[in-house]
Amino acid sequence: MATPTTLVHFSGHEHFRNRLVLSILSGRHVKIDKIRTDDKNPGLRDFEVSLLRLLEKVTNGTIIEISVTGTAILLKPGIIAGGPITHECPLSRSIGYFMEPIIMLAPFAKKAVNLTLKGITTDEHDLSADLLRTVTLPHLQLFGISDGLELRIKKRGAAPNGGGEVQFLCPIVKQVKTLNFVDPGKIKRIRGIAHAVRVNPQFSNRMIEASRSILNRYIPDIYLYSDVYKGEESGKSPGYALTLLAESTTTALHCAEAISEPGVLPEDIALKATRALLTELDKGGCADRKHQCLVLLMMVLGSEDVGRCRMGEPTAKTIQFLRDIKDFFATSFKIVPAEPSDPECKQLLYSCYGTGYVNANRTLA
Amino acid sequence: MDERPHKSHRPSQSGGKHDKKEKAKGEKKQGFNEKAFAPKSGRRAEKQGRRTAEKDQTRLHVPLVDRTPDEEPPPVIIAIVGPAGVGKTTLLKSLVRRFTKQTLNEAKGPITVVSGKKRRLTFIECNNDLNSMTDIGKVADLVLLMIDGSYGFEMETFEFLNILQSHGFPKVIGILSHLDLIKKAATLKDTKKALKKRFWTEIYQGAKLFYLSGVINGRYPDTEIMNLSRFISVMNSSRTSKGKCDRTVTVYGYLRGTNLRLGNKVHIPGVGDLEMKSVTVLGDPCPLPNESSEKRRKLSEKKKLLIHAPMSDVGGVMYDKDAVYINVPGNFTRGNNEVYQGEGEQMVMDLQDVNSTLEDAVARSQIRLFGSSSKTLTVEPTREDDSDDEHDEEQGSDVEEEEDDWMLEEANTTGENTGRRGMRTVTRGLPTVGSTKPRGDIAYADSDSDLGGSDDEEEDGRRVRFGGEDEDRDIPSDEEGLEEEEDEDEEMSGVEEDVPKWKANLSQHAQQLSATSRKARRKDWTKLIYTTTLSPEQILDDAKEDRDGEGDDIENDEDDFFQIKTRATNVEAEVLDKTKDDIDEEELKKWEDEDMLDSLRRLFITGADVAAAEGGGEDGEGEGEDRFGAEYDSDNEEGDDEEGGDVPSSSTTLDPRAALAAKKEALKKKFDEHFAGIDAESRALVEGYRPGSYVRIELPNVPAELVENFDPTYPLIVGGLLPAEERFGYVQVRLKRHRWYAKTLKNNDPLILSLGWRRFQTIPTYSLDDHSIRMRMLKYTPEHMHCFATFYGPVALPNTGFCAFNSLAGSTPGFRVSATGVVLDVDRSVKIVKKIKLTGVPYKIFKNTAFVKDMFSTALEVAKFEGANVRTVSGIRGQVKKALPKPDGAFRATFEDKILKSDIVFLRAWYSVQPRKFYNPVTSLLLSNKSSWTGMRLTGAVRHEQKLNAPQNVNSTYKKIERAPRKFNPLVVPRKLQANLPYASKPKLMAAQRAPTYLQKRAVVMEPEEKKAVALLQQIRALRKDQVARRREKKGEKKEERKKKMRKEEERKEGRAKERKKEVMRIVGQKSRREEELAEGGGRSRKRTKT
Repeated sequence: MATPTTLVHFSGHEHFRNRLVLSILSGRHVKIDKIRTDDKNPGLRDFEVSLLRLLEKVTNGTIIEISVTGTAILLKPGIIAGGPITHECPLSRSIGYFMEPIIMLAPFAKKAVNLTLKGITTDEHDLSADLLRTVTLPHLQLFGISDGLELRIKKRGAAPNGGGEVQFLCPIVKQVKTLNFVDPGKIKRIRGIAHAVRVNPQFSNRMIEASRSILNRYIPDIYLYSDVYKGEESGKSPGYALTLLAESTTTALHCAEAISEPGVLPEDIALKATRALLTELDKGGCADRKHQCLVLLMMVLGSEDVGRCRMGEPTAKTIQFLRDIKDFFATSFKIVPAEPSDPECKQLLYSCYGTGYVNANRTLA
Repeated sequence: MDERPHKSHRPSQSGGKHDKKEKAKGEKKQGFNEKAFAPKSGRRAEKQGRRTAEKDQTRLHVPLVDRTPDEEPPPVIIAIVGPAGVGKTTLLKSLVRRFTKQTLNEAKGPITVVSGKKRRLTFIECNNDLNSMTDIGKVADLVLLMIDGSYGFEMETFEFLNILQSHGFPKVIGILSHLDLIKKAATLKDTKKALKKRFWTEIYQGAKLFYLSGVINGRYPDTEIMNLSRFISVMNSSRTSKGKCDRTVTVYGYLRGTNLRLGNKVHIPGVGDLEMKSVTVLGDPCPLPNESSEKRRKLSEKKKLLIHAPMSDVGGVMYDKDAVYINVPGNFTRGNNEVYQGEGEQMVMDLQDVNSTLEDAVARSQIRLFGSSSKTLTVEPTREDDSDDEHDEEQGSDVEEEEDDWMLEEANTTGENTGRRGMRTVTRGLPTVGSTKPRGDIAYADSDSDLGGSDDEEEDGRRVRFGGEDEDRDIPSDEEGLEEEEDEDEEMSGVEEDVPKWKANLSQHAQQLSATSRKARRKDWTKLIYTTTLSPEQILDDAKEDRDGEGDDIENDEDDFFQIKTRATNVEAEVLDKTKDDIDEEELKKWEDEDMLDSLRRLFITGADVAAAEGGGEDGEGEGEDRFGAEYDSDNEEGDDEEGGDVPSSSTTLDPRAALAAKKEALKKKFDEHFAGIDAESRALVEGYRPGSYVRIELPNVPAELVENFDPTYPLIVGGLLPAEERFGYVQVRLKRHRWYAKTLKNNDPLILSLGWRRFQTIPTYSLDDHSIRMRMLKYTPEHMHCFATFYGPVALPNTGFCAFNSLAGSTPGFRVSATGVVLDVDRSVKIVKKIKLTGVPYKIFKNTAFVKDMFSTALEVAKFEGANVRTVSGIRGQVKKALPKPDGAFRATFEDKILKSDIVFLRAWYSVQPRKFYNPVTSLLLSNKSSWTGMRLTGAVRHEQKLNAPQNVNSTYKKIERAPRKFNPLVVPRKLQANLPYASKPKLMAAQRAPTYLQKRAVVMEPEEKKAVALLQQIRALRKDQVARRREKKGEKKEERKKKMRKEEERKEGRAKERKKEVMRIVGQKSRREEELAEGGGRSRKRTKT
């Protein structure tokens, strides 16, 4: 009866999240096999299974089939339903792992998403809750998703025991705007959040001091907040981190982050974060490197005009993401040097013709 | 005296008189009394203000981005619609004649003509089938709605207008024909007026209506057609609102709407969803005059001869991507010899006469190597691909065989590399459009990479080509590129059986890569990402190497590659899917250096402006790279000027308008300069195929019936689908039964919907919102009200309009559009409920408690309903308490009062309803008789056909209800209570008196006076009686007399009337006799028979 939509096939566990997101957005079935087949512990990890659970909660009518060995899955996506959802994240990954795909899906849901995630708020692999709030969400604003977009950090939770909680509110849109962002501008302000939970609150001040020792030479507009959560709100494990972000005159954002490691002074953590930010600024462009995928995805989903964005060189993840986009949406990017006259400039201009993706899930009146 | 014109008055332009006049003008305006229109009261003023504001609001529209390209817009589709016999074909012929000076004998299918320097028109005649009307209604830009003036509006016209309304209203011009049949001038005037009034109420007040008087030489009068064509030419034909479905193509045809991209599915109404295999831009068969060919402002008469009517009898030559087809006169299997044939035509005809294939010929021919050899050389039975090649050669020569071949291909769907296969739909039954290279022949090729190329070469070598001038129009590289890419994709997905081939390919790639990277230091990221199989890490590593300037030779490269591969599989088993890269401590070390830190100052607002110093010399190669981007810009700018508002950009202090104009000018210039240098293929890859280009689309796996039963008079539309539209789900729509549709729509009856591009039959479930609590199922659609309908089918975007039909057959009496509506929501589950009442009977009653049975069958069910509200018929409310152990499913319930044993206890619940998953696309184009499509029929229709009666449930039949008269026990009031009751309330226990009373049975003896009085009274009464009787008798006599008189009068009257009637009939008879005689003498009957 129903014409079978074409199946997209992948192998390997890498880029798992992006492929699931693309599948749900495009509505095409996806089959991923050979998931850690050669590993001692083959198959899906607990956080991947948890992510699948979360996606099942967010969507309606999704069918997920996992093979007996757990090394292959078949996803038949339903529609993105949204609404109030609560999810308990496993302690193996932070909530950033779960938030990133949700942020890509949430604007296209049927109802505004109100997602509460519980678990670790900051770890070394994924974007921390602070970064998501201060950098990722403003990236969505470039595409016209702004009113009611919010991430509340209710409790912080450091690894390994977590105990944090965030609430993500996202409005729905009919269509995302076409991006035309080629002027990176100049950095006009730097902001930062130093947080410390279940450790000496003085740690955050020490981090701020150390970071300022480098950044003060550039611009005066630097505010580094010391964010201390106490008691119940501070989670179950001790930890601290410094999150930095730089904003340009054209609202381009760049960020860096470093989190506490055992046996390392808070000053060193601060220096690490600051230097990472400088590296990021050096790479330049209009979008942060960690958010390349998000920006590119939204460009593809834009209206049927040419969207352009200037960014640094693609990361490995981005390259694979571009290929996956081609498989799912049959759209390819044109990538040319941003300044052809300058051989030293490594920035690239990404342009694509939007697919005119319209939120079909939206209810009319 | 000579007539010289008087000198005309010239008002003074300056001076005192002028100033005075100016002053007077400014001072006072004559004829407008402001006070007269001022509102009298404040409330009224407010009301007026509100109304004007409201009127202003209705004028506002959301600005729509017009994505039709300026330079080569697709032809405007002009559909000619009307009932049968109204003169559509005549109008089409007249218009074609007007625009191209060519006379068509048979006008079939779309006809494209050039009407102006920047304008082409495509005329489509729409037949009277509802399917065709639906399809045409979705694509037409301008509709010429033909109405028979002598007859008036017909049902089809209204149906078509309703279809238009639900799919976005194009411009409509009404045309009244057959006006010559009305002889009387006054009648003609009245008819025109009445029809115009009706037309205006249907479309809008002031809609254009044309009058065509009569037919001269098989065409309408030239002046009238010229007027009409002028209107068509100047018509701004943008649709008032466009549907969701936004891309339109015909299989060979012009793209409309927005860009078409490969990878998306398409839908052909009447056929189904299809995937596009390839899209090729072909040379425009009906090109607009360009700068060089047409220098004048107006279109010259010579150019007006251009016409493209692939299915009509014009031209006779058709260009395809790799072949040219010549239409030969007559039956195409056997040419008719009466018609004169040119040399070329004769050749083609001769080709058709070949009965044996080349294979047969080879098999038959005998070759001896030497004159003395005894055995001839024999040809081995050929491999599959050989024979296929031969088929390829002969294609077009033998029709029957060709058809068979095609069918075979349909059956054989195993091969993945399908080769190319034609869509043979549009060439007037010519079965060979495109090469029909059967599948499965590619596996024998030596290596992957040369597959595509050799394939093409072979074809080029063998095919007999007529004329080479179409060479430059098509893009030969397309096929190769695509196929190569496909192969690579396959490799990427891990097909690694053929190791040597794989290796060879890799080294090739590596070579290619290293070569390119050395030649131009800058990498081509687009190519690296999309056309190589390198892993992302390799691409990045390569980039690093490049940056370091390490020139590895190829061998090394290759080794490197394999190392990485092995490492990837074994050592680095766990690569986390993470967003944050690990911070490289080593790299951060550089920031300890003060100079490095200072080098970043330029990035901050406080730093010096380095960029200004940097700008300067332009690189030669860089420019080439920029071309496409620049051209892109111009598109974007033209597309949406407003949309870029939110994007930060360096604003200039100049007058914004002038700046914009200058910018546009510059971009346009750039565009013109570099347009020739752009690779059309890569451009199509990025942005798709632009509207206005003439393309050929290959659709694999098309049902054979489409070709076999192709009829050019039925439109074939290829509509692009959005990715979301390929999915299936439950679609909730707001629906209203059409007020002209005679019946109500019943729940779970199949309905044919025209939604988006699609036409399909589905089973809707009707519902209404019940106090915002639940969606309650309806059995029938409500009268004069919208309701919701939910059905299973292909998803359409919310806000898409649709119309529905119960039957598409032309024989259906009455109005066929049964409902219209709009899509509200799309979901994978539905929440429609209907009411269900569970009934039970009490079998034991205590005070307020009762044991109820027969409502549930198990204790588990009872457990589910514990606490649910129940009610008796008499209205006593209660609650389900707990299941009872003894009869299964019985439970204890409490009530607010004692219930009776005869009461029925019921529980009101809601049962969720799932709409049936039924989706049946209307495949009318696959039928030989296109209008005879029948979908799922109603049960009633099936029963009627098979002469079955509706099955009756015995329990539902009405039977005589025998109710025993109810006996009530006597009311017994206890004696003790009786004693206490007041007297009035005491029960009346005494029986009624039966024996005659004393007054009745006593004897009466009268006194003498009394006797006298009684006698007198008796006498008086007797007298009176007699008097009355006599009076009555007399009255009766009088009445009789009067009756007699009246009867006489009546008779006289009747006689007179009879005579009068006789006279009238005589006159009528004479008249009819005279008329009959007249009719026999000649004079045509004007009575029309409608079909």
